[in-house]
Amino acid sequence: MNKAIADHNRAAGMGNAGIAALLSAIFMGLGQMYNRQWTKGIIFLVAELVSLYLIVTSLAYNLWGLVTLGEQPAHMEKIGRLYRNVPGDHSIFMMIYGLVALLYIGLLVCFYIANIKDAYRIGKRRERREKVNSFRETWRLLGNQGFPYVLLTLPAIGVLVFTILPIIFMVLMAFTNYSAPDHIPPKSLVDWVGLRTFTNLVTLEAWSHTFVGVFTWTIIWAVVATVTTYFGGILVALLIEQRGIKFKGFWRTLFILPYAIPQFISLLVMRNLLNYQFGPVNQYLRMMGFGGVPWLNDPFWAKVTVILVNMWIGIPVSMILVLGVLTAIPRDLYEAAEVDGATGFQKFRNITMPFVLFQTAPILIMQFAGNINNFNVIFLLTNGLPANGDYAYAGSTDLLVTWLYKLTLDNQRYNFASAIGIIIFIIIAAFSLYNYRRSRSFKEEDMIQ
Amino acid sequence: MSRKRNWGILSSILIMMLLVSACGGPSGTGAGQTADPAAGAGEEMQEMKPEDGAKLTVWDSGDQKAFIEEAAKAFKEKYNVDVTFAELGPDKSMVQMVTDGPAGVGADVFAGVHDQIGQGVSAGVLMPNDWFEEDTRGRNSELAVKALTYENILYGYPKSVETTAVFYNKDLIKEVPQDWKGVVDFANTFNDTKANKFAIMWEVGNGYYVFPFLGGYGAYLFGKEGTDATDIGMNNEQAVEGAKFIQSLNKILPLKTSDINADIKKSLFTSNKLAMNISGPWDTGSLKESVKNLGVGMYPNLPNGKPMTPFSGVKAYFVNAYTKYPNASKMFADFITSEEWQVKNFEMNGALPANTKAAASETVQSDPIASVFLKQFENSVPMPSIPATAQFWSPMEAAMSSIWNDNKDPKAALDNMVKQMKSNIQTGQ
Repeated sequence: MNKAIADHNRAAGMGNAGIAALLSAIFMGLGQMYNRQWTKGIIFLVAELVSLYLIVTSLAYNLWGLVTLGEQPAHMEKIGRLYRNVPGDHSIFMMIYGLVALLYIGLLVCFYIANIKDAYRIGKRRERREKVNSFRETWRLLGNQGFPYVLLTLPAIGVLVFTILPIIFMVLMAFTNYSAPDHIPPKSLVDWVGLRTFTNLVTLEAWSHTFVGVFTWTIIWAVVATVTTYFGGILVALLIEQRGIKFKGFWRTLFILPYAIPQFISLLVMRNLLNYQFGPVNQYLRMMGFGGVPWLNDPFWAKVTVILVNMWIGIPVSMILVLGVLTAIPRDLYEAAEVDGATGFQKFRNITMPFVLFQTAPILIMQFAGNINNFNVIFLLTNGLPANGDYAYAGSTDLLVTWLYKLTLDNQRYNFASAIGIIIFIIIAAFSLYNYRRSRSFKEEDMIQ
Repeated sequence: MSRKRNWGILSSILIMMLLVSACGGPSGTGAGQTADPAAGAGEEMQEMKPEDGAKLTVWDSGDQKAFIEEAAKAFKEKYNVDVTFAELGPDKSMVQMVTDGPAGVGADVFAGVHDQIGQGVSAGVLMPNDWFEEDTRGRNSELAVKALTYENILYGYPKSVETTAVFYNKDLIKEVPQDWKGVVDFANTFNDTKANKFAIMWEVGNGYYVFPFLGGYGAYLFGKEGTDATDIGMNNEQAVEGAKFIQSLNKILPLKTSDINADIKKSLFTSNKLAMNISGPWDTGSLKESVKNLGVGMYPNLPNGKPMTPFSGVKAYFVNAYTKYPNASKMFADFITSEEWQVKNFEMNGALPANTKAAASETVQSDPIASVFLKQFENSVPMPSIPATAQFWSPMEAAMSSIWNDNKDPKAALDNMVKQMKSNIQTGQ
């Protein structure tokens, strides 16, 4: 019987499914109504009507704003004795509203497609003479099995509006000329300039020179800072764990202290301790008959200083990590080694080190990524100084991230800052991704061969 | 399977509904719409009245709180308008206003320094001083009014002036020498680097304190008027001569630029190790407390016989262009910068009046420190207020570090600095 009807429909060229899908494609909800799912159909219909209303009243204008970034800047008008501020288009706000509109329309398209599919599916069920859910049944399903989805919508919206949207917005800034002094809205308009910011970063002598210099130092800093703190931590941990050492608890506490003091305090104090003329460090050196060291004044020495101070802060962290790993190494391995007559160094090389490395390698990579963005140490200790006459807005010890800070907060060069931000993101993302892949492969690997 | 589909659809409905309610499109003014010019100001106004229900917020630094609250009380009695104080110092207010003003969350009236006017005007956040313009011009020092004028429009309501001069400790030196030769002679008898004793100190790397030397020789920052960003005279012959002279002073102040900062300078001065300390009226209060016999003198003359030309700053109240109550804001800015209140601010906080009558008043003139600063203000150069000024400080610091710390050729350092400034000014366009 069913089969006969279905055949008949196919002969007519279009079954319920086709008609429903077509109707839904014409206007959301029509297909659902055709399938006699009235409530659902009405909800869809209203959703489309509301969307159309929004598109006509504001969304279309917002999209226009996103494309043009405004045409009419704000200006002052004098009427009689008084000036009035005539508001105009604020390019940056238009960009944000335009993005919201784009997001909404994107969702609408997904929803539209889902609505056509839904009409087609229900149509197919009707052709097969299966029962079609009433609205109440659908609603109950949503309350039971669908409950997690309902709960997830709220965080999903949060992520969309508070994470994805701002990120897109910040990335887009790199493709505009949003920078002081000539392109700060609402007095002036901001325009799309394509890749000009990036090409400027590479071709303009002052910028490219600064970028190369700061980038090189950032990488050197990240490598050296990570290696020194990591191996320093291992060394200290091994020393504490030596069998002959007494008062282990005391030593541990002592070495954790630098980490316990907030960096804000310790680094600003260090800055004063290391003053060339008046700092206690140089005063003691002079008393001992050495000359003072220009800790923070000379470009080379300033770099050495930040690395030394960073060791003082960072070694405790790796020390704690390694102490944890050391306790997990089975004692009998060492005993077996001793029976074979291994020296202390051989034990360290063949048992301790592989264990520690294996356990902490992922953390090592993350520390490296973190050091690329180590804002605190540089900003609080040297603030990027000593000044460098060849750099644009950066000093000799500035990292990319502190340079970015100076560009946005001190000089309002948002477009350059955004371009640099994108570059930093690519570097960090590459490391994180690599790290993630490695840790996966680690999990599937057997223990040390 | 089919059931799942339904939830997907329904949850996306929910998302859309919530999106709509959360960020319904803005009430965008249509493209190309211009405001109706006849709105509100059609007829010529006879007198200024605050808007009904006006409420004002004022930004200023924390030390001004008591002063502003007192003025606000008097203002409320007179016009029945509430004024609240919020702390945001004049050093940061303009940058904040550039973002907050257009967003509609900025203060109605805020304190700022005149050299940021260019930044504010190019962002369109400053309301010109229109209704009270004649009054403001009539009662304030000409230099102050000129400093607050940008492209022939007056923007601020002058509140106080400041410049730098030479504080000295009368127990260590009788008076500030007439010229630098005298300073060097005194230094040769007084200095003791081992014990950290120095004759004179200023922030060598800071352009604010470098300019008085170079300007005295004939260098200029942006054209003769401080308005032409393309004409930078910081590496002309006179500037190089000035830089050479500064370099020669390293003998009497053998420290690195980064070792001299305001705190260290102050602590040496208050512990009787420093005889002369170049600084501004903002330090008067704290120095008076800790130095028994404090004096202040004019800058010594340069070896070429010319006086030095310190930068001066004019602090003013500005009206936010986006305020809901422009009339009330202008009235308050005018009210709090009147003669009476400038004298009051001098009494309370030692702010040097920009108002000519207030500056000539007995209270101010009888104060040995304030009167010297006011005299020095008349022989000062207002900091340029064009946006390009922001590009001066860090290249200048870099140049001084190579001239002073590394004893490099001043000409090369200044040439490089000007090149850097020009490139920074250009990439902003």
